[in-house]
Amino acid sequence: MTTLAQPPKLGLPATIIGVAVGIILTAIGVVFGFLQGLSVQLIILAAIATLAAFVWGWRFVLGQFVSDAGSVPEGEISEGRKVWLQFRPAIYGLIAILALFLVLSLTIEGFFNVWNVVSLLIILTIIVLTRTLGRHFQENRSAFIGIMVLAGLFSIGSMNIEGFASANNIKSMLLFAAFLGIASVGQTLVALLGGLDLSIPFIIGAANVGLLYLIGLGVPPWLAALIVLAIGTLLGVINGFLSYKLQGQALIVTLGTGFAISGGVQIITSIGTAYGGNVFGTVPDWLSNLAAMNGSTFGLPVPPVICIWALIVIVLIVGMRLTVYGRYLYALGVNRTSAKRVMISEITYWVMMYAISGFFAALTGGLLLGWSGGGFIGVGDQYLFLTLAAVVVGGTSLLGGQGGYGFTVIGVLVLQVLSSFLIGIGLDFEWQQFIFGLLILPMVALYARSPHIRTQI
Amino acid sequence: MSDAAANVGLDTARPAQGGRANPFLLVPITLFFLLLGLAVLRSPSLMSSAGIGSAIIVATPLILATYALMASVISGRGTVDLSIGPLIGFINVTLIQLHGAGILTNPIAIFAYAILIGALYQFLFSLIVIYVRVQPIIVSLSGYLALSGMNLVILPRPGGVAPQFMADWGLGTSIFSPVFAILVIASIAWLLFTRTAFYTHLRLMGSDERAAYTSGVPIYVVRIGAHVISGAFAGLAAITFTALISSGDPSQGTTYTLIAVTALVLGGASLAGGRGGVFGSFLGASNLYLITFVLATFNFGAVQSFVTNLAYGSILVISLLLTLIIPFIQRHIHNFSPLLYFIGLGVVAMGVILHATNDRDPRARPAPVDEIVVMQSLSPIALEKLYIGPLEVAAPTATDEELRQQAGPLVLAALLLIVIAVFVRVAVSQSDRRTIAPAVTVVVAALVLFGAYLMRAQGPFAPNSSEPAATEESR
Repeated sequence: MTTLAQPPKLGLPATIIGVAVGIILTAIGVVFGFLQGLSVQLIILAAIATLAAFVWGWRFVLGQFVSDAGSVPEGEISEGRKVWLQFRPAIYGLIAILALFLVLSLTIEGFFNVWNVVSLLIILTIIVLTRTLGRHFQENRSAFIGIMVLAGLFSIGSMNIEGFASANNIKSMLLFAAFLGIASVGQTLVALLGGLDLSIPFIIGAANVGLLYLIGLGVPPWLAALIVLAIGTLLGVINGFLSYKLQGQALIVTLGTGFAISGGVQIITSIGTAYGGNVFGTVPDWLSNLAAMNGSTFGLPVPPVICIWALIVIVLIVGMRLTVYGRYLYALGVNRTSAKRVMISEITYWVMMYAISGFFAALTGGLLLGWSGGGFIGVGDQYLFLTLAAVVVGGTSLLGGQGGYGFTVIGVLVLQVLSSFLIGIGLDFEWQQFIFGLLILPMVALYARSPHIRTQI
Repeated sequence: MSDAAANVGLDTARPAQGGRANPFLLVPITLFFLLLGLAVLRSPSLMSSAGIGSAIIVATPLILATYALMASVISGRGTVDLSIGPLIGFINVTLIQLHGAGILTNPIAIFAYAILIGALYQFLFSLIVIYVRVQPIIVSLSGYLALSGMNLVILPRPGGVAPQFMADWGLGTSIFSPVFAILVIASIAWLLFTRTAFYTHLRLMGSDERAAYTSGVPIYVVRIGAHVISGAFAGLAAITFTALISSGDPSQGTTYTLIAVTALVLGGASLAGGRGGVFGSFLGASNLYLITFVLATFNFGAVQSFVTNLAYGSILVISLLLTLIIPFIQRHIHNFSPLLYFIGLGVVAMGVILHATNDRDPRARPAPVDEIVVMQSLSPIALEKLYIGPLEVAAPTATDEELRQQAGPLVLAALLLIVIAVFVRVAVSQSDRRTIAPAVTVVVAALVLFGAYLMRAQGPFAPNSSEPAATEESR
């Protein structure tokens, strides 16, 4: 019976490496402890905790991934042991987090207050819920996990940060989420086909500058906006056509067209002016109203861009579930050969999705102009990897066929709430980026692991 | 995927050609010589010792970053390591900070540190890819975000001082700088690596991982190896980058990601895996440098960087489209030799260079000399003569004699390079046979090197000793 509680077996080298690294970490901790002049009891406690936590992490986190086929002999298992087996990782996780909390509250002055305890409880609840209920959501596990993380982050944030849950803050979070969400529409659709669109940030920047340039030339703003959207769509068509012709090179093709677009638009806008790349002009009121924080929709104090985003979300989710176009899109993403056999034109969809991507990128650029009030080519730069991150965190597979825009919305909200939370506790942009980076990996690892190679033969 | 597989099949039919019989090099080679000719015609001072020297200094970090990217891209599964730029930045800023704190001072320690950190990061990367089985591009995305945030934390704004011994590396006044040595050593190391079975396994895995797995290739080990090599290249790239800017910069390194991906693809590698090499990567990165250089000679003023962007993008897309016609070429020309093509175009380009740098006819040289904007610290006339000096047969005057004396070491060095290259090539091609030949070539090569050293030691750059030395070696 004791063998049942054994952790998954790791190979000898892996074990040795793990123990060695653990000991090194512990030694570092002990040395630092002595250097800081802490009391010996604390150091010993911390050392034991570090070693135990690390060895646990090594064996279980790695072990889970190494041997999926840990066969458990059936029969004669008592009920308690069954529960124990089923939730073993979660229980270890709970213990580890508790230990971490203990160590933190012993070492950091003033860490042990009521809010942190409540936050801890929330985290624990989320983990328990994810482990217990998550099993019933095999289909949409990523969405479930995303919503849990969102709820947890939001509740922790609203407890720890003054004004986090105020109407203003929520409005501003939704505003930024709307920009990112609209920019990620194209990325999601293209990812569903198995492609990538890295030209989105460049088109955003180009649309941003180009719209203001056209307005500055004296073109009526509505016409200028239409022209910019049309050009964005056209660029998307070119992208789609090129990346269809050059199969498997979508990443680099769109990057190339992106470079060319941003360079070309800047050349056009700076011809005949003394300011290289800087465009001046006045943004019309309706455009500012569309995207500004204090904008209003039909009298309601909500920036219209949020409503636009909500509309897009509904149309896309319903459309992709119910219409033929949506279903064909998934069919192509899952297996393009079989989709071809049922007379789905691959190039049409490929070009169409990239065209939509270009359109929404141009739209984002125009809306960002309304928000900032000045043209700037680099306005889209941060969206280069953020759109990808939103798609990936939401749970749309970059290989195509799995996911949807609803997932991306969750991803966008998670990223936005997390970033507001990090700003709220006083972390700078670089720390946010660092934490984003570290967060993406475990979130994706929870639901988007590819099968082992031996199962693919 | 399918064309990569076809390419591998093509290569296995001709094992002697190895990775070098690659028709995808056609585009980068053509582009390289086109750009080189244009660059030399626009600004002949590129072909001076200082011009080439500074070109090497500026281009080497990019070339090495492309190598680093290439090593992991070959391993397949769409491993485009987006985090390569932030990794270079990370090594750069930690190096500067550790040096500033007085911990890293020894050159050997600095090299070891850079390479070790790069390899360690890539090792972790490969472990995650193997055991967590997340798509590599997601791992690299997360690495990109995490590392570029980290860099700004470590060094909030550009600053710091590079180690003392690197201080004059970034000047670029002569061709044979330490940076050049790093570049050559890195390239040769990869070329030697391509002769191993490990490399064959790597390419097989990159083209078709399932086939590799079923035929018993240890795919985990191979993947880890590819990443560790990539990390070592990244470490070298970081060192040359540090030498170039001779300080620390948290955000500059990050820009290398997109440029290196561009250079890699321009060099004919496949992002799907299984195809790529140092030759192509070198050409791709050099092409990017030459594009910037050529455009800089046109002096666009305020829109310079936009024009550069436009050119990058369009050339990238066009050269990708050109690869579509390669199957047609392959159908008609079965034995395409990139090396031969390279040499053929190289001769033409050499003619252009000689014409541009030495033609005294004023009609042949329109104005552009005074438009040189890139190179400042040049004294072109004396150096130009230095190149034609050894070729003259007319009775030399005193100044010519002096020039010839100066040219001596250059000629010696060039001959040495050729001799070394030939010997390395011979040694490498013989290395898989179980005869004594490799040992013999190694011994002979060592003797030649020793002889050259002695010659150099006797009279410091004496022209009389350098000429006979050359004839001896070429035997």
